[in-house]
Amino acid sequence: MSFMDDNQNSAPSSVQSNKLGGARKAAEPGQNAAKRLQTELMQLMTSPAPGVSAFPSADGNLLSWRATIEGPDDTPYAGLTFKLSFEFPSNYPYAPPTVLFRTPIYHPNVDFSGRICLDILKDKWTAAYNTQTVLLSLQSLLGEPNNSSPLNGEAAELWDKDPALFKTKVMDRHKDIEDD
Amino acid sequence: MPAAVASQWRDRRRQVFQSVFQADVAPLAPPSTPSSRLTDPGDPLRYPQQHQQQTHRGRGHTLAPPSHRTSSRRTTPEPSLHAAAQPLFPPAPADDQATYDRAWHIVTAHIALPSSATADDSFGAPAAGPHQQQFSTEFYDAFALLVNASTLLPNATRTGDILAWHVGQVRAHFAQHVIPLLAECVDDEGADPSGEGNYYERHMVIVMSSIRTLEAALRLYFHGLGQLLSGFNRLADASPEAAKDAELLSARFRRDIHALVSNSVSEGLMRSVKAVLIRLAGTILGIPPQEELSTGGGQTARPAAPGPADLNVQAARERLLELVRQLHNVGLAGERFQVLFAEVMDAMMSAFVTGAYAGVWATPDARPFSASVDTVSQSASLSAASPCIVSLNDWVENHFARLSCEVLACISPNPQGPLPVSLADLRTYQSLALGRLAALRIQELFDIVMAWPASRPALDDLRATITTAARRKQLTDSFSRTLQTRLLHPGCSTLEILQKYIAIIRTLHALDPSKVLLSHVEPSLQLYLCHREDAVRIVVSGLLASPEEIRAAKMAKAAGKQQGDTSQGDGNGQTSWRARDPGPFTSPSVPRASRNNPPEQIVQRDITLEAEETSDHSAATSKDGRPRRPTKLVELALLLSDPSQTRRTALDHDEDLDWNDMNWVPDPVDAGANYKRPKSEDVIGTLISALGSGDVFIKEFSAVVAERLLGEPARFDQELRVLDLLKRRFGEAALQNCDVMIKDVQDSRRVDSAIRKGRVGRGQKRRVMATPDKSATPERGTDGIEYHARILSRLFWPNLDREHFLLPPPIVEQQRRYEQAYEKLKSGRKLTWLNQLGQAKVELELKDRTVAADCSTVEATVIYAFQRGEGEDDADADSPPVQKSVGELYEQLQMDEDLISAALQFWVSKGVLRRVAGSSDAYVVAETLQEPDTTAAPSSTLTASALGAPSQPAGTAETASAAEPASSTAGGAGKPRISAKERERREVYWRYIQGMLTNASASMPLGQMAMMMRMLIADGFPWSNEELQEFLAEKVAAGEMEVVGGKYRLKK
Repeated sequence: MSFMDDNQNSAPSSVQSNKLGGARKAAEPGQNAAKRLQTELMQLMTSPAPGVSAFPSADGNLLSWRATIEGPDDTPYAGLTFKLSFEFPSNYPYAPPTVLFRTPIYHPNVDFSGRICLDILKDKWTAAYNTQTVLLSLQSLLGEPNNSSPLNGEAAELWDKDPALFKTKVMDRHKDIEDD
Repeated sequence: MPAAVASQWRDRRRQVFQSVFQADVAPLAPPSTPSSRLTDPGDPLRYPQQHQQQTHRGRGHTLAPPSHRTSSRRTTPEPSLHAAAQPLFPPAPADDQATYDRAWHIVTAHIALPSSATADDSFGAPAAGPHQQQFSTEFYDAFALLVNASTLLPNATRTGDILAWHVGQVRAHFAQHVIPLLAECVDDEGADPSGEGNYYERHMVIVMSSIRTLEAALRLYFHGLGQLLSGFNRLADASPEAAKDAELLSARFRRDIHALVSNSVSEGLMRSVKAVLIRLAGTILGIPPQEELSTGGGQTARPAAPGPADLNVQAARERLLELVRQLHNVGLAGERFQVLFAEVMDAMMSAFVTGAYAGVWATPDARPFSASVDTVSQSASLSAASPCIVSLNDWVENHFARLSCEVLACISPNPQGPLPVSLADLRTYQSLALGRLAALRIQELFDIVMAWPASRPALDDLRATITTAARRKQLTDSFSRTLQTRLLHPGCSTLEILQKYIAIIRTLHALDPSKVLLSHVEPSLQLYLCHREDAVRIVVSGLLASPEEIRAAKMAKAAGKQQGDTSQGDGNGQTSWRARDPGPFTSPSVPRASRNNPPEQIVQRDITLEAEETSDHSAATSKDGRPRRPTKLVELALLLSDPSQTRRTALDHDEDLDWNDMNWVPDPVDAGANYKRPKSEDVIGTLISALGSGDVFIKEFSAVVAERLLGEPARFDQELRVLDLLKRRFGEAALQNCDVMIKDVQDSRRVDSAIRKGRVGRGQKRRVMATPDKSATPERGTDGIEYHARILSRLFWPNLDREHFLLPPPIVEQQRRYEQAYEKLKSGRKLTWLNQLGQAKVELELKDRTVAADCSTVEATVIYAFQRGEGEDDADADSPPVQKSVGELYEQLQMDEDLISAALQFWVSKGVLRRVAGSSDAYVVAETLQEPDTTAAPSSTLTASALGAPSQPAGTAETASAAEPASSTAGGAGKPRISAKERERREVYWRYIQGMLTNASASMPLGQMAMMMRMLIADGFPWSNEELQEFLAEKVAAGEMEVVGGKYRLKK
């Protein structure tokens, strides 16, 4: 645990050095994360999964990614596109990334500021997961919300009771963001 | 006309000479010009009158300066003269002037030079005759008067310096008579047609006649001086200093005359002197004269230090010294002569060094030096006792320096002084000579490199002589230049360059263990090699050269050395390693089982595979029985087996810590800062590092290894060895692919035999599956085709692309069975066949012959298509031979047309097919060897091509999904591999761009995109911004992207 803490504390500085490109040593924790992320990116590019994509943010920081999920068909989210942000800790993949919906979404397990309630992003995280699996999990979460532990109670209720209203709420809430 | 010009020129020269030397005799010595007017010395009265008339007007200022000058010069002798003279001549009160004039007249008449001089004889013996003796007393009296005029004849106002007068007279005489004579000597001889007669003799005549002329003239002049001096001596009998004074006077006069002579020497004479000097010195120093060099055979004319007993040399030496002495006596040994001599000696040294040592790298001759080498040269010799250096030092010391010393001693002003050539001078000479040797060797360096290791002594020379940074620089510069002109041009094959490179590495390492020189020379080579795309491949295949190839190369080399019996050597080269091989000139053939060829039985091979493939191999090295030009860099394989090459890694480690190395020397001055010296010569390492990064090398290596593994060899000893070596250099991980490849091949052997056992099952004869992919079996049930496969792990083999075509049905059947067996053996895996990678053994039965060939599966498939359909075989014996066009084959085989054409060409070259006359792409089976128009050809028993089995099944179940990402659009066969790879890569890049523009930012400028790609792609992003821009422009053109405000974005 102390190992973990250490890494958490040193994260900002190693992120900094990554940005500057100064840290070349493999021993640097951030560097391992960066390497891993580079590999993940390569995998994403060579064998992309349908409906999801992700890429490091435009500032060139490998520990900060942007992702896109297309709403699956046969769900209220069909035809919609959702943007997310991934913030990877410097000890990634030993700790989960922080994932937020940036596109406003009406969903039982997502609150109004975009925070997500998903077990694999919390205590069920293992290093075997990667960005792609997270994205695919989120995509399936759109179609199969976990209504037993909702962040948005109203949505959880409506999901079962009134799908039409739910759909309207989803469409109301959704707003394409155009950001750079 | 030339004569007129010459005389004009001579006149002018004389004028110039006179104006410079003020040798105008008239003003200098007017009173007594011994002209014809005053020929009668016995007329004392007339002379003074005349004298008065002449002088009073003309002389006042003209004489004064010279006399003043002379008297001031002669401050020392004069007082003593006066002192000595006083008691003898009491003063006379009057008529002093007349007395003085008369005395002057007597003296001058006495010492006057003859007025005309037309030949040498005229100068001859002007000296003491009885006539002179008669006048001697009178002369001495007069002389005493003149010398002591101030005391004896105080009233004589016009007095002169008799010595100055004599000098003036001599000058005038020299200018008027001697110079024309000298010029004549030169001109007469120079007018000779130069082609005839001995060059040297001619010049010798010129020199000797000039010397004689001068000698005669000088005798004359010194006779006059002698008279005057004897006068002095008589006056000075009493005092001992007078003798010294006379000596001084004489020396001074001599010096003046010598200056006069040497200043008036013509160019022509100096040329002649030079020619004579060159010849004589050349003989003495053992350098053959030029004309012999040019005409005679090179061997005989090589300079060599002459032996002590050589009579010619002794004669020449005496002659030269005599000549020099004579020259010295007549005053020709002045500064100009010394310069000339220096020039000649300089040229001699160069001529000797280049002549004696050019191209001679071993001991120049067997003469023992011990007799002549004494302590001096031993201590002077720098460090190494290379034979050339020793002999050169010896030559400098015992011949060059000796001659210089002797000649300089002859012309030195004081012969009693120290030797003109000191020990320090000798050292200087030696270092000069070594410098020249170094320059020579530097020039030759390229040849030295080529001749390595026979040229080792020459390297010793170089090592001992390139001691300064300047020379090292000269060496590297010169060598780089030579490389550019002799090696690094399109005319040299890459193989050649690499071979030379190896030689350079070894040579320069021997020359300079610190490798600094090499590091200075290398860049241009490396840069050039980067342009040669095949360089890496050649190095790799060189490393992998088989022992047989090495042996063959060695033999070829040996055979090349002893030109005489090449056939012998090359026979050994082939047979030595396998005594069973039939002989050097027969192409390897396999003993075949007797076939009782039923048409269906297609091929029959028996178990002699082992023998066959080995002999195949040696056949590759010299197929035609002649020593071929090496096509591989077998040197590398040789080095690889040399243990000294691999010792490096161990040594490197403690190199810096070796404090006990008493032979340690600092790095040379021209080493850069932080220069790290490699210890061993490590040719392979240098070569590999010279060819760019290890990645490139490893890639190429795995490509070559893959090719070889798919080929026939049964064992991979060499591959494994090289792999080990490379692992040591690059690390285990980098070469993992190769490990897997080798393991694949080994595994597939096991699998293959397992499958066969399982399938054949019914007591089939067991075989050694040495070459798993081919061989036929007499087994009838399976069409007589023996089929083997190799199972490769797709991910680890480079460039495994599929090439689609339809195999012959029997083979397809075989494949199917094999596949089933495999899937039974390894459940959950399935095979993907790579048909184009296999080999086949084909036997074709034509009407009048049977053709057996090893070929690729593609070729086998094509020829199989020419087979007559089943059933037709014997029935339609009279039907015309099968004919097919490329188009038909294309439809039938679904094979790429280029491959079809290539395969057709292959069979045409084998004589199995021939092109149908009048058709551009139709081919017909050549059933008989006669011309095809004989339609009478009765039967076409083309029985069938047998196909060994093509087969490279690839992949395993888990990789199957992504197995063919790029082959879907498999297009032109020209370069399908490269383009497929490239396509794949572009595809990936496109996904990156899509991902970037979808997620990171909806629109981005080019620069940022390029930067992101470079940062994010783990393997590196090799494109420049321009290439990326081009790529994006394509996408824009395809409507997938758009440019808005200088930024790219995806089209919605």
